[in-house]
Amino acid sequence: MEFVVISLLNGITYGLLLFMLSSGLTLIFSMMGILNFAHASFYMLGAYFAYQISTWIGFWPGLLVAPLLVGAVGAAVERYGLRRAHRFGHVAELLFTFGLAFLVEEIVHLIWGKVAVDYRIPEELDGTLFSLFDTDFPIYKGFMMLISVGMLVALYALLTRTRIGLIIQAALTKPDMVEALGHNVPRIFMLVFGGGTALAGLAGVIGGNAFVTEPGMAAAVGSIVFVVVVVGGLGSLGGAFVASLLIGCIQTFSVAMTLSITDVFAVVGIALPEGSQVARLTITQLAPVLPYMLMVAILIFRPRGLMGARES
Amino acid sequence: MNSPAIRVSGLKKNFGASEIIRGVDLDIQRGERHAIIGPNGAGKSTLFHLISARLPVTAGAIELKGENVVGLKPFEIARRGLSRSFQITNIFHNLSVFENLRCAVLWSLGYRYSFWQRLSGLKDARQRAEAVMEEIGLSRRRDTPAGILSYAEQRALEIGITIASGADVILLDEPTAGMSNTETEEAVAMIRRVTEGKTLVMVEHDMGVVFGLADRISVLVYGQIIATDAPAAIRCNAAVQEAYLGTSLHSGIAS
Amino acid sequence: MNSVIFPRGRLLLWGGGLALAIALPLLFKSGFMVSLLCQMGIMVVFALSYNMLLGQTGLLSFGHAVYYGLGAFITMHTLNLIGKDGSPLLVALLPLVGGLAGMLAGVVLGYVTTKKAGTTFAMISLGIGELVAACALMFPGFFGGEGGVSGNRVIGKESFLGFTWGPQVEMYGLIVLWAFLATVAMFALTQTPLGRMANAVRDNPERAEFVGYDTQRVRYLMLILSGLFAGIAGGLTALNYEIVTAETLNAHTSGVVLLMTFVGGIGFFYGPIIGAILITVMQIVIGGLTHAWLLYFGLFFLFMVLMAPGGIASLIAVQHKLWQAGLLGRMLPHYLATALPTLVLLAGLVGLIEMGYALLAGEGVGAGDTATKVMGMEMQLNAPGPWAAALGVAALGLALTRWIGGRTRVAWNATLSTLHGDKA
Repeated sequence: MEFVVISLLNGITYGLLLFMLSSGLTLIFSMMGILNFAHASFYMLGAYFAYQISTWIGFWPGLLVAPLLVGAVGAAVERYGLRRAHRFGHVAELLFTFGLAFLVEEIVHLIWGKVAVDYRIPEELDGTLFSLFDTDFPIYKGFMMLISVGMLVALYALLTRTRIGLIIQAALTKPDMVEALGHNVPRIFMLVFGGGTALAGLAGVIGGNAFVTEPGMAAAVGSIVFVVVVVGGLGSLGGAFVASLLIGCIQTFSVAMTLSITDVFAVVGIALPEGSQVARLTITQLAPVLPYMLMVAILIFRPRGLMGARES
Repeated sequence: MNSPAIRVSGLKKNFGASEIIRGVDLDIQRGERHAIIGPNGAGKSTLFHLISARLPVTAGAIELKGENVVGLKPFEIARRGLSRSFQITNIFHNLSVFENLRCAVLWSLGYRYSFWQRLSGLKDARQRAEAVMEEIGLSRRRDTPAGILSYAEQRALEIGITIASGADVILLDEPTAGMSNTETEEAVAMIRRVTEGKTLVMVEHDMGVVFGLADRISVLVYGQIIATDAPAAIRCNAAVQEAYLGTSLHSGIAS
Repeated sequence: MNSVIFPRGRLLLWGGGLALAIALPLLFKSGFMVSLLCQMGIMVVFALSYNMLLGQTGLLSFGHAVYYGLGAFITMHTLNLIGKDGSPLLVALLPLVGGLAGMLAGVVLGYVTTKKAGTTFAMISLGIGELVAACALMFPGFFGGEGGVSGNRVIGKESFLGFTWGPQVEMYGLIVLWAFLATVAMFALTQTPLGRMANAVRDNPERAEFVGYDTQRVRYLMLILSGLFAGIAGGLTALNYEIVTAETLNAHTSGVVLLMTFVGGIGFFYGPIIGAILITVMQIVIGGLTHAWLLYFGLFFLFMVLMAPGGIASLIAVQHKLWQAGLLGRMLPHYLATALPTLVLLAGLVGLIEMGYALLAGEGVGAGDTATKVMGMEMQLNAPGPWAAALGVAALGLALTRWIGGRTRVAWNATLSTLHGDKA
């Protein structure tokens, strides 16, 4: 029971973090038709910026400044890079963001080195929030949840209560229409791209110290975020939300389970032959591939994704 | 020759809550030239999209030469001998005129997904593509990429791709849209020539073209067919005149 | 008008290419050169197989290394399996085993990936790539874990026509043979009904459906065939290096083949060949000169995406057209005039990057060094002088490039309109 509750809380925390990334990715994709390959790179930049700022003036200013800086970088990338690539079509755009991801990783190598940096949780948030039976739930996890939910509420308010939000929302379902209506599309694009990357940056600020801040973090998270977006359904914010939580939970539960495949089949009443490599694998060992297997299953049985409206 | 080329019955199509096609019944006889006219937004293109399976049907039946085709994919319908053109030019932009036409004949000549035959060795495909190219008057532009042809040339190629497979049921969606008068005249003559002996269904706004080409005309208004008849009878039909409010039809009658 | 079965120009080009490939190791006898040439040959096949997807079918894949890597692993295991009972002839045929493995992987994985096209395909190919790469770490028995799987390509007691494949130059011969056969086959494929319909599906999938083709099937078949050739390249890698690690099928390898193909030019059959050769040389030559080579590589790639999305092959094609029209002479002085300030700009940038790397990156260079050598010059990193100098050179280069580049562009546009004007 305690295992379930704690894993569920961890899963939701991680899932909300994933949603901070996948929501930005979805908004950018829906508005601009661009799959931002470098999205997780902005997550990484958020973590590194926050680390750098925390060494100078502390964690709290970084919480605000780092995402803004990342958003500014994102907006500049849109303005001076993507907009140019756009003229050559979608493949060029995708390749541009792909090259960008590559470049950001190298720049991080250049500035911060190839090993992890010591980006720590601030002392105020270091400790136990509550204990359930014998397991502690750290304050920082609670703080991450708070920030994520706060962001979620703000995003929701922005999308439903403001003019620009309504335009963005309209673009989710009828992208051609919004363009036809003659809104200042380039400006909105820059805003959405900057906003989406700022969200990714914020995720990096609070995720970087919860996990680890190193040059490989972008690649590790990046592909998972793509899985989230495919599973949820391309262009669907609701789908991205559900899929984020689902994959967050799958990952935390599977990491914590020591059952092997043989054990699982034994529960169902099937005895597997002893000794094969597959049968001896534990769920924990399977953890890294589970999201991808879920993606493949979704593609075969429900190609639109959980809540996607568009076919491909 | 007993079943009609196309038989549509009780056809409906909804987009969300709005009904675009609201119960269409239509028989197209084999070998006839049939025009579908109607005001903007009546659902003419949607009807074409349903028949050619570009859009899924909400309810109703469509038979092609006596066989039910609802639920089939576009390529399956194409293989059964129905070929269509598009209102917005829909060609292979980076391929040459000749390659566009050759692509259009490959399946019907049985080459399927062959990766063991050299294209240049397929004499029948080359001859068929060249014959169509001659028919649509683009032989001069054989090796020009389709994307840089003039608008009228692209429209001709669009029709060429449609007829190249030798399909016996041809759907043309506004073949003369956006053309000048001279270009339209040439296009009509060409359409008449290349659809000889075939079943032709077309959506068209130019009443001159419609009354000059069609054996029968159906009038589609707000997703329903209000009349199907010979051109002369359509001219005098009171319901049709009301639907058109005497505007564009007048010019058609006058000409 | 009428198509000649073997146009003489094409025959000459293929023959010349083959002759050059055979002659190169005779000209450059050093072991380093021969290994470099081996790597190039393998990459040419790999990049061409990738372009069957990207250039010919319009499928942007981020997981192509899967077919290459699986081909390599299966080849290596087969090599170890035949072991002592084998002969050099069998070894020579092994890349075909790799090819079949790649093809089989295409049959299985392609069934899932090719259901979609466009952006979705790109994402799914990435996911499938990650899936296979993660599996590689889960099954050390097959994939050999961290150390990979190794073997020995010299087996059997007798030689085959005097070849044992032991010396690197013999291996090079084998690679040239396979690369040539694969290249001819891939070119031939572009001239078949399937190859042409792949182009049609790339240009306009909707219309392809309406002329009777199942676009999903076309994509699937192209992916399977592309897997075949990627697998052959993988098999050659296994034999060439006699070791296969999980690195061969991960996202990095997928990224490299994409870069090569794109930089070379996806619109032309020969584009990927140029890209594979160029990038392999860059990797080894620039990689040997500086630790920052990946950064240069990334910058170069972005530059190509933004400035020459058709790749080097398209640049060559345009120059060729100009030359045929007798206009190349008009542009040459402008090219030269632009090259000079561009070099100045590059020098400034390289200086900045190298000094930055030496000061910050550490690892191997010695972090926090106070001095480094840039282009043969000793630079004091803790003094503002060298930094200001490099910055100045870069700024000067940028200003000059913009100024002269603008004039070149004007001349370029004028020349282009003359070219098109002549045509019409």
